[in-house]
Amino acid sequence: MTSKPSPAQDNPWQSDNVKPFIRIRNVTKKFGPVAAVDDVSLDIYKGELFCLLGGSGSGKSTLLRMLAGFEEPTAGSIEIDGQDMAHVPAYERPTNMMFQSYALFPHMSVERNVAYGLHRDNVAKGEIRQRVADMLELVQLSGYGRRKPNQLSGGQRQRVALARALIKRPKLLLLDEPLGALDKKLREETQFELVTIQETLGVTFIVVTHDQEEAMTLSTRIGVMNNGKIEQVGEPREIYEFPGNRFVADFIGSVNMFEGIVTETEADFVRIRSKDADCDIYVSHGVGCAPNQKLWYALRPEKMEISRERPDQKENFFEGIVEDIAYMGNQSAYRIRLKSGMVVRLTRTNRDRGEETPITWEETVFVSWGPSAGVVLIA
Amino acid sequence: MQKTGFLMRFITVLGFVFLYAPILSLVIYSFNESRLVTVWGGFSTKWYGELLKDPQILSAAWISLKIAFTSASIALVLGTLTALVLVRFGRFRLRELLNGMITAPLVMPEVITGLSLLLLFVVMESWLGWPSQRGFTTIVIAHTTFCMAFVAVIVESRLSDMDESIEEAAGDLGARPVRVFFDITLPTIAPALVSAWLLAFTLSLDDLVIASFVSGPGSSTLPMVVFSKVRLGVSPDVNALATIMIGAIGLGVVIATTLLLRQEKKAE
Repeated sequence: MTSKPSPAQDNPWQSDNVKPFIRIRNVTKKFGPVAAVDDVSLDIYKGELFCLLGGSGSGKSTLLRMLAGFEEPTAGSIEIDGQDMAHVPAYERPTNMMFQSYALFPHMSVERNVAYGLHRDNVAKGEIRQRVADMLELVQLSGYGRRKPNQLSGGQRQRVALARALIKRPKLLLLDEPLGALDKKLREETQFELVTIQETLGVTFIVVTHDQEEAMTLSTRIGVMNNGKIEQVGEPREIYEFPGNRFVADFIGSVNMFEGIVTETEADFVRIRSKDADCDIYVSHGVGCAPNQKLWYALRPEKMEISRERPDQKENFFEGIVEDIAYMGNQSAYRIRLKSGMVVRLTRTNRDRGEETPITWEETVFVSWGPSAGVVLIA
Repeated sequence: MQKTGFLMRFITVLGFVFLYAPILSLVIYSFNESRLVTVWGGFSTKWYGELLKDPQILSAAWISLKIAFTSASIALVLGTLTALVLVRFGRFRLRELLNGMITAPLVMPEVITGLSLLLLFVVMESWLGWPSQRGFTTIVIAHTTFCMAFVAVIVESRLSDMDESIEEAAGDLGARPVRVFFDITLPTIAPALVSAWLLAFTLSLDDLVIASFVSGPGSSTLPMVVFSKVRLGVSPDVNALATIMIGAIGLGVVIATTLLLRQEKKAE
């Protein structure tokens, strides 16, 4: 379909001879007649920070809970480190989970919360003390051991929850919206801390989130979920630049979607006639499609140029009227109404500080883009 | 605005008078010197002294306390188990039926509960030979039956308020289900258990109707003794006894509600 970037990296998911650490095979989970997770298959490798990204009700949390052992799959199998997890209860799995609500034990001090998992494994007292102290230092909470959870701030609670989930050195850590309850600034700081900790300990992380920015920053790979199915799995860049279908293109970032009909298709280019865009679209690579086939062309707002002059090209541009401009400091966002009635979103970096005659409301402008700026979507 | 304020206060006072004037007059007359219940003869605590010399009342009080303690404790265990089954074990067959039935003893007329239990005990005695005699055991069984319903309702509401993920978190960290119950669930619902026990204790202590049906010779509870004494005419020592009971029950209810309220505040 589209040419993907394939640098010669030694990522395990690009290699054929690395065994996946977690194998999810045709897993379905039904609640009554509704399938929350619908025939999902997924491989995750050791040391990954894998994000399950999706809206509410997409099944991402249910999938996570099945990995933790809180839910049994209706069908399919889950394998962790070569071991089949069917009928293995949560308390015997080599996984630990960090809950969205943190789920700290309210009647226990921070120390006892963190030590709880070690006590259950009958670890020697001296070792428990040492490991708890080390762990609290890792999450920068030394000196808070005696406090109760209700005497901590939201960010501190989050770190206690992380420490408690990591203390047993699980093979796999499951994180359910780990940063969801933090405010924006704290969230950004914590994102990087989380990645640092993951890299230090080398634990495999699976993170559930609805926040695409978070998924982009954190993960090695993202699995986009919708209606209980995985729509696409890929590295953040791949998901953003080469979305596999309209849902993914629309869910990650913002996008202008033009419906079109194929007029010419060759091995090295495609020409599409779009009523929405009111122009011909030329794509400089081959697409597996037939003439007169209906398809979609997805164009990100930052991949277009705006100007007053008619561009010197036959295709890939249209004329429109500026309906709205939002100045956002680093960039400006334009809403441009085309003759077809469609409104296109476009962003432009504010490179110059004092433009003499900036484009303004109600002005007629031309929007153009290069032959490889957009993505052709069949589904 | 001023007028409504006055009206509101008036109605409030009226309500309080309506509810508590009879009790207040009883408390006041328990300190009456005179033998005649309706004539004030000066302040005295002599009826409290008389009370302590009455062996019939003392033994009835002792029986009542034993029954209340035993049945409240059994009801606590059974009621808590019922609540756990209802809240934590997902949907099972007949769950809705159990959920509805558990509250039935709360609304069932006591006369019917008492009568049906009496019939049950009589039939059991003739078929199984147990209970061979009605008395302490049968009253405990009867009280446990209806107290358990109250316990189940209180604990159920607390359990469904509880954040289930802290139980899951304990399980996730390697605690088996029984361990999770004692480490996590029990400490969390403890205040509700205390107040449920106190409520059950109080309910058992002041039950007259059911106890009258299922008691036997030598096992008259305190309310039964009071009732039979009053039939011979109200004597001032009954006032004193009633005052003590009001005090005890009032204290129990206050402790129970305070605990529940404090926990609700904490939950917020």
